[in-house]
Amino acid sequence: MTNVYVHGVGMTQFGTFVDRTMKDLLLDACIQALKEAGNPKVDAVYVGNFMGGSIYNQEILGAIVANELGLGFIPTAKVEGACASGGIAVRQGVIGIQSGEYETVLVAGVEKMKHASTADVTQAINAAMDNDSNEKRAGLTFPGFFGVLANRYFYETDASKKHLALVALKNRENAIHNPLAQFRKPATLEEIMEARMITNPLGLFDCSPMTDGAAAIVLSSKKSPVHVRASAQSSGPTQMQDADDLLSIPAIKESGRLAYEKAGVGPEDIDVVEIHDCFSMTEMLAIEELGFFRKREGWRAVEEGRTKVTGDKPVNTSGGLLSRGHPIGATGISQLYQLVHQLRGTAPNQVEGNPRLALSQNLGGTGSYSVVHILERV
Amino acid sequence: MKIFACTNCDYHSVTSKYTCPKCQQGKLQETEVSASGTVYSFTDIHIAPAEFAHIAPYTVALIQLDEAPVKVTARMDAEVQIGDSVELKGLEEGAFIYTKAD
Ligand SMILES: [Zn+2]
Repeated sequence: MTNVYVHGVGMTQFGTFVDRTMKDLLLDACIQALKEAGNPKVDAVYVGNFMGGSIYNQEILGAIVANELGLGFIPTAKVEGACASGGIAVRQGVIGIQSGEYETVLVAGVEKMKHASTADVTQAINAAMDNDSNEKRAGLTFPGFFGVLANRYFYETDASKKHLALVALKNRENAIHNPLAQFRKPATLEEIMEARMITNPLGLFDCSPMTDGAAAIVLSSKKSPVHVRASAQSSGPTQMQDADDLLSIPAIKESGRLAYEKAGVGPEDIDVVEIHDCFSMTEMLAIEELGFFRKREGWRAVEEGRTKVTGDKPVNTSGGLLSRGHPIGATGISQLYQLVHQLRGTAPNQVEGNPRLALSQNLGGTGSYSVVHILERV
Repeated sequence: MKIFACTNCDYHSVTSKYTCPKCQQGKLQETEVSASGTVYSFTDIHIAPAEFAHIAPYTVALIQLDEAPVKVTARMDAEVQIGDSVELKGLEEGAFIYTKAD
Protein backbone atom coordinates (compact mmCIF):
# COMPACT_ATOMS: atom_id res chain seq x y z
CA MET A 1 0.00 0.00 0.00
CA THR A 2 1.14 3.57 -0.74
CA ASN A 3 2.82 5.24 2.23
CA VAL A 4 1.46 8.58 3.41
CA TYR A 5 3.61 11.35 4.89
CA VAL A 6 2.97 14.71 6.58
CA HIS A 7 4.47 17.65 4.70
CA GLY A 8 3.08 20.61 6.59
CA VAL A 9 0.79 21.60 9.44
CA GLY A 10 -0.94 24.86 10.30
CA MET A 11 -3.12 26.07 13.14
CA THR A 12 -4.69 29.33 14.26
CA GLN A 13 -4.80 30.47 17.85
CA PHE A 14 -7.80 28.82 19.56
CA GLY A 15 -10.18 31.05 21.50
CA THR A 16 -12.77 33.77 20.91
CA PHE A 17 -12.36 35.74 17.68
CA VAL A 18 -15.31 38.04 17.17
CA ASP A 19 -13.52 39.95 14.40
CA ARG A 20 -12.53 36.92 12.31
CA THR A 21 -14.83 34.98 9.97
CA MET A 22 -14.92 31.21 9.66
CA LYS A 23 -13.41 31.51 6.17
CA ASP A 24 -10.60 33.71 7.48
CA LEU A 25 -9.66 31.16 10.18
CA LEU A 26 -9.92 28.24 7.75
CA LEU A 27 -7.73 29.86 5.07
CA ASP A 28 -5.17 31.02 7.66
CA ALA A 29 -4.55 27.42 8.80
CA CYS A 30 -4.50 26.12 5.20
CA ILE A 31 -1.96 28.71 4.05
CA GLN A 32 0.33 27.94 7.01
CA ALA A 33 0.24 24.23 6.18
CA LEU A 34 0.77 24.78 2.43
CA LYS A 35 3.72 27.14 3.03
CA GLU A 36 5.37 24.64 5.34
CA ALA A 37 4.86 21.95 2.69
CA GLY A 38 6.55 24.17 0.08
CA ASN A 39 3.29 25.01 -1.77
CA PRO A 40 2.90 21.65 -3.57
CA LYS A 41 0.32 20.93 -6.27
CA VAL A 42 -2.78 19.81 -4.32
CA ASP A 43 -4.95 17.05 -5.81
CA ALA A 44 -7.92 17.16 -3.39
CA VAL A 45 -9.23 19.00 -0.32
CA TYR A 46 -11.20 17.65 2.66
CA VAL A 47 -12.60 19.99 5.31
CA GLY A 48 -13.82 18.76 8.71
CA ASN A 49 -16.67 20.84 10.07
CA PHE A 50 -19.72 20.13 12.23
CA MET A 51 -21.99 23.13 12.70
CA GLY A 52 -21.04 25.62 9.99
CA GLY A 53 -24.41 25.02 8.37
CA SER A 54 -26.53 25.10 11.53
CA ILE A 55 -25.07 28.12 13.34
CA TYR A 56 -23.00 29.98 10.73
CA ASN A 57 -25.15 29.41 7.62
CA GLN A 58 -22.10 28.33 5.63
CA GLU A 59 -21.48 25.05 3.82
CA ILE A 60 -19.41 24.29 0.64
CA LEU A 61 -16.21 24.76 2.67
CA GLY A 62 -14.20 22.42 0.41
CA ALA A 63 -14.90 24.43 -2.74
CA ILE A 64 -14.29 27.70 -0.87
CA VAL A 65 -10.80 26.52 0.13
CA ALA A 66 -9.92 25.38 -3.40
CA ASN A 67 -11.26 28.58 -4.93
CA GLU A 68 -9.76 31.08 -2.47
CA LEU A 69 -6.36 29.40 -2.58
CA GLY A 70 -6.39 29.03 -6.38
CA LEU A 71 -5.95 25.25 -6.26
CA GLY A 72 -7.81 24.68 -9.55
CA PHE A 73 -10.82 22.51 -10.40
CA ILE A 74 -9.84 19.74 -7.99
CA PRO A 75 -12.30 17.53 -6.08
CA THR A 76 -13.20 18.75 -2.57
CA ALA A 77 -15.65 17.79 0.17
CA LYS A 78 -16.79 18.74 3.63
CA VAL A 79 -16.69 15.85 6.12
CA GLU A 80 -19.03 15.58 9.12
CA GLY A 81 -18.64 13.19 12.03
CA ALA A 82 -19.60 15.34 15.02
CA CYS A 83 -16.50 16.08 17.14
CA ALA A 84 -14.55 13.54 15.05
CA SER A 85 -15.13 15.50 11.81
CA GLY A 86 -11.46 16.57 11.66
CA GLY A 87 -10.07 13.10 12.27
CA ILE A 88 -12.41 11.55 9.71
CA ALA A 89 -11.40 14.25 7.17
CA VAL A 90 -7.72 13.34 7.68
CA ARG A 91 -8.61 9.69 7.19
CA GLN A 92 -10.35 10.49 3.87
CA GLY A 93 -7.13 12.19 2.75
CA VAL A 94 -5.05 9.19 3.80
CA ILE A 95 -7.36 6.74 1.98
CA GLY A 96 -7.35 8.97 -1.12
CA ILE A 97 -3.55 8.80 -1.28
CA GLN A 98 -3.37 5.09 -0.37
CA SER A 99 -5.78 4.30 -3.23
CA GLY A 100 -3.42 5.91 -5.72
CA GLU A 101 -6.05 8.46 -6.79
CA TYR A 102 -4.18 11.43 -5.26
CA GLU A 103 -0.55 12.26 -4.60
CA THR A 104 -1.07 15.27 -2.31
CA VAL A 105 -4.14 16.20 -0.25
CA LEU A 106 -4.89 19.28 1.86
CA VAL A 107 -7.03 18.52 4.92
CA ALA A 108 -8.39 21.27 7.13
CA GLY A 109 -10.83 21.61 10.00
CA VAL A 110 -12.66 24.63 11.30
CA GLU A 111 -15.40 25.69 13.71
CA LYS A 112 -16.83 29.09 14.62
CA MET A 113 -18.92 28.87 17.77
CA LYS A 114 -18.34 31.94 19.91
CA HIS A 115 -20.55 34.31 17.89
CA ALA A 116 -23.69 32.32 18.80
CA SER A 117 -25.60 32.12 22.09
CA THR A 118 -24.86 29.23 24.47
CA ALA A 119 -28.42 27.95 23.97
CA ASP A 120 -28.04 27.88 20.18
CA VAL A 121 -24.63 26.18 20.34
CA THR A 122 -25.90 23.64 22.91
CA GLN A 123 -28.79 22.79 20.62
CA ALA A 124 -26.44 22.45 17.62
CA ILE A 125 -24.10 20.18 19.63
CA ASN A 126 -27.05 18.01 20.68
CA ALA A 127 -27.51 17.17 16.98
CA ALA A 128 -24.65 14.71 17.63
CA MET A 129 -26.97 12.59 19.80
CA ASP A 130 -29.78 10.29 18.60
CA ASN A 131 -32.55 12.82 19.02
CA ASP A 132 -35.33 10.43 18.03
CA SER A 133 -35.00 8.43 21.24
CA ASN A 134 -36.54 8.09 24.70
CA GLU A 135 -33.08 8.95 26.03
CA LYS A 136 -33.01 12.41 24.46
CA ARG A 137 -36.62 12.98 25.55
CA ALA A 138 -35.62 12.15 29.14
CA GLY A 139 -33.30 15.17 29.00
CA LEU A 140 -29.92 13.45 28.64
CA THR A 141 -27.18 15.76 27.32
CA PHE A 142 -23.55 15.34 26.30
CA PRO A 143 -22.08 16.34 29.66
CA GLY A 144 -24.93 14.33 31.22
CA PHE A 145 -23.75 11.13 29.52
CA PHE A 146 -20.22 11.57 30.87
CA GLY A 147 -21.62 12.50 34.31
CA VAL A 148 -23.49 9.17 34.42
CA LEU A 149 -20.27 7.37 33.42
CA ALA A 150 -18.27 9.20 36.08
CA ASN A 151 -20.65 8.29 38.92
CA ARG A 152 -20.50 4.62 37.91
CA TYR A 153 -16.69 4.81 37.64
CA PHE A 154 -16.52 6.17 41.19
CA TYR A 155 -18.88 3.40 42.34
CA GLU A 156 -16.75 0.62 40.83
CA THR A 157 -13.30 1.99 41.71
CA ASP A 158 -11.60 3.97 44.46
CA ALA A 159 -11.52 7.04 42.20
CA SER A 160 -13.21 10.29 43.18
CA LYS A 161 -13.85 13.77 41.83
CA LYS A 162 -10.27 14.63 42.80
CA HIS A 163 -8.94 12.29 40.12
CA LEU A 164 -11.00 13.99 37.43
CA ALA A 165 -9.75 17.33 38.75
CA LEU A 166 -6.17 16.05 38.40
CA VAL A 167 -6.84 15.38 34.69
CA ALA A 168 -8.21 18.91 34.23
CA LEU A 169 -5.30 20.40 36.19
CA LYS A 170 -2.68 18.54 34.13
CA ASN A 171 -4.21 19.74 30.86
CA ARG A 172 -4.48 23.30 32.18
CA GLU A 173 -0.81 23.24 33.18
CA ASN A 174 0.14 22.01 29.69
CA ALA A 175 -1.94 24.74 27.99
CA ILE A 176 -0.10 27.48 29.90
CA HIS A 177 2.97 26.72 27.75
CA ASN A 178 1.07 26.37 24.45
CA PRO A 179 0.91 29.79 22.73
CA LEU A 180 -2.06 28.65 20.58
CA ALA A 181 -4.19 27.39 23.51
CA GLN A 182 -7.48 28.93 24.59
CA PHE A 183 -6.90 28.85 28.37
CA ARG A 184 -3.42 29.90 29.47
CA LYS A 185 -4.20 31.11 32.99
CA PRO A 186 -3.14 28.80 35.81
CA ALA A 187 -5.85 27.12 37.92
CA THR A 188 -5.58 25.38 41.28
CA LEU A 189 -6.89 21.94 42.23
CA GLU A 190 -9.18 23.62 44.76
CA GLU A 191 -10.60 25.98 42.13
CA ILE A 192 -11.29 23.03 39.81
CA MET A 193 -12.91 20.96 42.60
CA GLU A 194 -15.18 23.81 43.70
CA ALA A 195 -16.22 25.13 40.28
CA ARG A 196 -19.86 25.47 39.29
CA MET A 197 -21.55 22.09 38.77
CA ILE A 198 -22.58 21.22 35.21
CA THR A 199 -23.70 17.57 35.47
CA ASN A 200 -22.79 15.98 38.80
CA PRO A 201 -19.93 15.13 39.38
CA LEU A 202 -18.61 17.16 36.42
CA GLY A 203 -17.95 20.83 37.08
CA LEU A 204 -17.00 23.65 34.74
CA PHE A 205 -13.31 22.63 34.50
CA ASP A 206 -14.28 19.03 33.67
CA CYS A 207 -15.98 20.15 30.44
CA SER A 208 -14.35 21.40 27.23
CA PRO A 209 -15.26 24.97 26.23
CA MET A 210 -16.75 26.58 23.14
CA THR A 211 -13.96 27.66 20.81
CA ASP A 212 -13.25 29.35 17.48
CA GLY A 213 -10.31 28.00 15.51
CA ALA A 214 -8.91 26.08 12.56
CA ALA A 215 -6.11 23.60 11.81
CA ALA A 216 -4.75 22.09 8.59
CA ILE A 217 -2.38 19.38 7.40
CA VAL A 218 -0.80 18.55 4.02
CA LEU A 219 -0.46 14.82 3.29
CA SER A 220 1.46 13.29 0.40
CA SER A 221 2.82 10.02 -0.93
CA LYS A 222 6.20 11.78 -1.32
CA LYS A 223 8.59 11.05 1.54
CA SER A 224 8.98 13.34 4.56
CA PRO A 225 10.31 12.84 8.11
CA VAL A 226 6.78 12.13 9.48
CA HIS A 227 5.06 8.94 8.32
CA VAL A 228 1.36 8.18 8.88
CA ARG A 229 1.87 4.67 10.17
CA ALA A 230 -1.84 3.89 10.73
CA SER A 231 -5.30 5.37 10.22
CA ALA A 232 -8.28 3.56 11.77
CA GLN A 233 -11.91 4.34 12.49
CA SER A 234 -14.82 2.70 14.32
CA SER A 235 -18.41 3.39 15.28
CA GLY A 236 -20.20 2.62 18.53
CA PRO A 237 -23.57 2.88 20.29
CA THR A 238 -25.39 6.18 19.78
CA GLN A 239 -27.42 5.71 22.94
CA MET A 240 -26.22 5.25 26.53
CA GLN A 241 -28.83 2.57 27.26
CA ASP A 242 -27.33 0.40 24.48
CA ALA A 243 -23.88 0.29 26.13
CA ASP A 244 -22.89 -3.29 26.87
CA ASP A 245 -20.46 -2.06 29.57
CA LEU A 246 -21.09 1.54 30.63
CA LEU A 247 -17.42 1.99 31.56
CA SER A 248 -16.29 1.11 28.04
CA ILE A 249 -16.45 3.15 24.84
CA PRO A 250 -16.11 0.39 22.24
CA ALA A 251 -15.49 2.79 19.34
CA ILE A 252 -12.32 4.03 21.12
CA LYS A 253 -11.17 0.52 21.98
CA GLU A 254 -11.82 -0.88 18.49
CA SER A 255 -10.28 2.05 16.58
CA GLY A 256 -7.21 1.71 18.83
CA ARG A 257 -7.00 -2.04 18.28
CA LEU A 258 -7.24 -1.60 14.49
CA ALA A 259 -4.60 1.14 14.50
CA TYR A 260 -2.15 -0.94 16.57
CA GLU A 261 -2.75 -3.89 14.25
CA LYS A 262 -2.15 -1.79 11.10
CA ALA A 263 0.97 -0.17 12.58
CA GLY A 264 2.29 -3.43 14.00
CA VAL A 265 2.89 -1.80 17.37
CA GLY A 266 1.30 -1.92 20.83
CA PRO A 267 0.29 0.70 23.37
CA GLU A 268 3.63 0.20 25.12
CA ASP A 269 5.47 1.50 22.03
CA ILE A 270 3.68 4.87 21.91
CA ASP A 271 5.82 7.79 23.13
CA VAL A 272 3.33 10.67 23.15
CA VAL A 273 -0.46 10.89 22.93
CA GLU A 274 -3.22 13.37 22.10
CA ILE A 275 -6.67 12.04 23.04
CA HIS A 276 -10.19 13.39 23.01
CA ASP A 277 -10.73 14.84 26.50
CA CYS A 278 -14.08 16.50 25.74
CA PHE A 279 -14.63 15.82 29.46
CA SER A 280 -12.08 14.87 32.12
CA MET A 281 -13.97 11.56 32.44
CA THR A 282 -13.46 10.85 28.73
CA GLU A 283 -9.67 11.09 29.09
CA MET A 284 -9.84 8.67 32.03
CA LEU A 285 -11.74 6.08 29.97
CA ALA A 286 -9.70 6.64 26.79
CA ILE A 287 -6.32 5.97 28.46
CA GLU A 288 -7.79 2.63 29.58
CA GLU A 289 -9.52 1.77 26.28
CA LEU A 290 -6.34 2.50 24.28
CA GLY A 291 -4.47 0.01 26.46
CA PHE A 292 -2.07 2.44 28.16
CA PHE A 293 -3.36 1.41 31.58
CA ARG A 294 -5.52 -1.41 32.87
CA LYS A 295 -9.32 -1.10 32.89
CA ARG A 296 -10.64 0.78 35.94
CA GLU A 297 -7.07 1.75 36.90
CA GLY A 298 -6.59 4.88 34.78
CA TRP A 299 -7.18 7.00 37.90
CA ARG A 300 -4.14 5.46 39.58
CA ALA A 301 -1.95 6.41 36.60
CA VAL A 302 -3.30 9.96 36.76
CA GLU A 303 -2.63 10.15 40.50
CA GLU A 304 0.94 8.92 39.97
CA GLY A 305 1.56 11.59 37.28
CA ARG A 306 2.21 9.00 34.58
CA THR A 307 0.22 11.01 31.97
CA LYS A 308 2.08 14.27 32.63
CA VAL A 309 4.67 15.60 30.15
CA THR A 310 7.34 14.11 32.45
CA GLY A 311 5.48 10.80 32.88
CA ASP A 312 6.03 7.54 31.02
CA LYS A 313 2.89 8.08 28.85
CA PRO A 314 2.46 11.83 28.22
CA VAL A 315 -1.18 12.59 27.31
CA ASN A 316 -2.44 15.88 25.84
CA THR A 317 0.78 17.87 26.00
CA SER A 318 -1.10 20.55 23.99
CA GLY A 319 -3.51 21.13 26.88
CA GLY A 320 -6.15 18.89 25.29
CA LEU A 321 -9.71 19.88 24.48
CA LEU A 322 -10.20 20.95 28.10
CA SER A 323 -7.65 23.78 27.90
CA ARG A 324 -6.25 24.03 24.35
CA GLY A 325 -9.90 24.36 23.29
CA HIS A 326 -12.37 22.36 21.19
CA PRO A 327 -13.34 24.02 17.88
CA ILE A 328 -15.22 20.86 16.93
CA GLY A 329 -14.29 20.33 13.25
CA ALA A 330 -10.68 21.44 13.86
CA THR A 331 -10.00 19.33 16.96
CA GLY A 332 -8.86 16.11 15.27
CA ILE A 333 -6.38 18.02 13.11
CA SER A 334 -5.07 20.17 15.96
CA GLN A 335 -4.16 16.92 17.74
CA LEU A 336 -1.97 15.99 14.75
CA TYR A 337 -0.50 19.52 14.71
CA GLN A 338 0.79 18.99 18.26
CA LEU A 339 2.04 15.45 17.55
CA VAL A 340 3.91 16.43 14.36
CA HIS A 341 5.71 19.08 16.42
CA GLN A 342 6.45 16.50 19.13
CA LEU A 343 8.06 14.23 16.51
CA ARG A 344 10.03 17.15 15.09
CA GLY A 345 11.19 18.12 18.59
CA THR A 346 9.58 21.56 18.37
CA ALA A 347 6.39 21.19 20.47
CA PRO A 348 5.29 23.24 23.45
CA ASN A 349 5.88 20.87 26.42
CA GLN A 350 8.31 18.89 24.27
CA VAL A 351 8.62 15.33 25.54
CA GLU A 352 12.23 14.38 26.20
CA GLY A 353 14.06 11.49 24.55
CA ASN A 354 13.19 12.09 20.86
CA PRO A 355 9.70 10.56 20.67
CA ARG A 356 9.34 8.26 17.65
CA LEU A 357 5.72 7.05 17.77
CA ALA A 358 2.75 9.33 18.47
CA LEU A 359 -0.96 8.47 18.72
CA SER A 360 -4.04 10.67 18.29
CA GLN A 361 -7.60 9.64 19.13
CA ASN A 362 -10.58 11.78 18.09
CA LEU A 363 -14.11 11.00 19.39
CA GLY A 364 -17.46 12.01 17.89
CA GLY A 365 -20.78 11.99 19.74
CA THR A 366 -21.24 10.01 22.96
CA GLY A 367 -19.00 7.25 21.59
CA SER A 368 -20.56 7.22 18.10
CA TYR A 369 -17.32 7.67 16.14
CA SER A 370 -13.65 7.27 16.99
CA VAL A 371 -10.60 7.82 14.78
CA VAL A 372 -7.05 6.85 15.69
CA HIS A 373 -3.91 7.88 13.81
CA ILE A 374 -0.39 6.70 14.59
CA LEU A 375 2.48 8.88 13.36
CA GLU A 376 6.10 7.83 13.18
CA ARG A 377 9.31 9.87 12.93
CA VAL A 378 11.33 8.30 10.06
CA MET B 1 -42.45 -2.65 29.63
CA LYS B 2 -41.86 -3.59 25.98
CA ILE B 3 -38.31 -4.77 25.24
CA PHE B 4 -36.65 -6.66 22.38
CA ALA B 5 -34.83 -10.02 22.57
CA CYS B 6 -32.75 -11.74 19.90
CA THR B 7 -34.20 -14.92 18.41
CA ASN B 8 -30.69 -16.39 18.10
CA CYS B 9 -28.56 -15.23 21.08
CA ASP B 10 -28.88 -13.64 24.53
CA TYR B 11 -28.94 -10.01 23.26
CA HIS B 12 -31.65 -7.78 24.73
CA SER B 13 -32.39 -4.08 24.20
CA VAL B 14 -35.00 -1.50 25.04
CA THR B 15 -34.82 -0.31 21.41
CA SER B 16 -35.44 -2.40 18.31
CA LYS B 17 -32.78 -2.97 15.62
CA TYR B 18 -33.00 -4.34 12.09
CA THR B 19 -30.51 -7.12 12.86
CA CYS B 20 -29.11 -8.32 16.19
CA PRO B 21 -25.93 -6.24 16.74
CA LYS B 22 -24.37 -9.04 18.78
CA CYS B 23 -24.71 -12.15 16.59
CA GLN B 24 -25.66 -10.32 13.35
CA GLN B 25 -27.97 -13.23 12.52
CA GLY B 26 -31.00 -13.16 14.78
CA LYS B 27 -33.96 -10.83 14.60
CA LEU B 28 -35.20 -8.86 17.58
CA GLN B 29 -38.56 -9.99 18.89
CA GLU B 30 -40.81 -7.92 21.10
CA THR B 31 -41.45 -9.19 24.61
CA GLU B 32 -43.01 -7.78 27.77
CA VAL B 33 -41.19 -7.50 31.15
CA SER B 34 -41.71 -5.62 34.40
CA ALA B 35 -40.41 -2.02 34.31
CA SER B 36 -39.07 -2.28 37.89
CA GLY B 37 -35.34 -2.01 38.32
CA THR B 38 -32.40 -0.50 40.19
CA VAL B 39 -30.36 2.62 39.51
CA TYR B 40 -27.17 1.58 37.67
CA SER B 41 -25.88 5.17 37.53
CA PHE B 42 -27.19 8.72 37.31
CA THR B 43 -26.37 12.39 37.01
CA ASP B 44 -28.02 15.63 38.10
CA ILE B 45 -28.23 17.97 35.13
CA HIS B 46 -27.69 21.54 36.31
CA ILE B 47 -27.00 23.11 32.92
CA ALA B 48 -29.81 21.98 30.62
CA PRO B 49 -30.70 22.56 26.97
CA ALA B 50 -33.36 25.22 26.36
CA GLU B 51 -36.22 22.71 26.17
CA PHE B 52 -35.49 21.35 29.67
CA ALA B 53 -34.22 24.54 31.34
CA HIS B 54 -37.50 25.07 33.21
CA ILE B 55 -37.10 21.77 35.15
CA ALA B 56 -33.33 22.02 35.86
CA PRO B 57 -31.68 20.73 37.90
CA TYR B 58 -33.15 17.32 37.14
CA THR B 59 -31.88 13.77 37.48
CA VAL B 60 -31.33 11.36 34.60
CA ALA B 61 -30.65 7.75 35.55
CA LEU B 62 -29.67 4.57 33.78
CA ILE B 63 -31.98 1.87 35.16
CA GLN B 64 -31.07 -1.83 35.17
CA LEU B 65 -34.32 -3.76 34.76
CA ASP B 66 -34.96 -6.59 37.22
CA GLU B 67 -36.49 -9.08 34.78
CA ALA B 68 -34.20 -8.72 31.74
CA PRO B 69 -30.58 -7.86 30.90
CA VAL B 70 -31.71 -4.43 29.68
CA LYS B 71 -30.86 -0.89 30.74
CA VAL B 72 -33.22 2.03 30.22
CA THR B 73 -32.44 5.74 30.34
CA ALA B 74 -35.07 7.61 32.34
CA ARG B 75 -35.76 10.86 34.11
CA MET B 76 -36.26 10.56 37.88
CA ASP B 77 -38.83 12.55 39.82
CA ALA B 78 -36.32 13.00 42.69
CA GLU B 79 -32.64 12.54 43.53
CA VAL B 80 -31.34 8.96 43.64
CA GLN B 81 -28.22 6.93 44.42
CA ILE B 82 -26.74 3.92 42.65
CA GLY B 83 -28.51 0.78 43.85
CA ASP B 84 -31.85 2.44 44.67
CA SER B 85 -34.91 0.39 43.71
CA VAL B 86 -37.10 2.25 41.25
CA GLU B 87 -40.34 1.78 39.34
CA LEU B 88 -41.94 3.31 36.27
CA LYS B 89 -44.27 6.18 37.08
CA GLY B 90 -45.33 6.84 33.50
CA LEU B 91 -44.45 8.22 30.11
CA GLU B 92 -44.12 11.95 29.52
CA GLU B 93 -43.66 13.18 25.95
CA GLY B 94 -41.77 10.02 25.02
CA ALA B 95 -39.62 9.98 28.16
CA PHE B 96 -39.72 7.25 30.79
CA ILE B 97 -40.32 8.87 34.19
CA TYR B 98 -39.20 6.75 37.13
CA THR B 99 -39.77 7.11 40.85
CA LYS B 100 -38.20 5.47 43.91
CA ALA B 101 -39.91 2.21 44.94
CA ASP B 102 -41.48 2.06 48.40
ZN1 LIG C 1 -28.32 -12.11 18.51
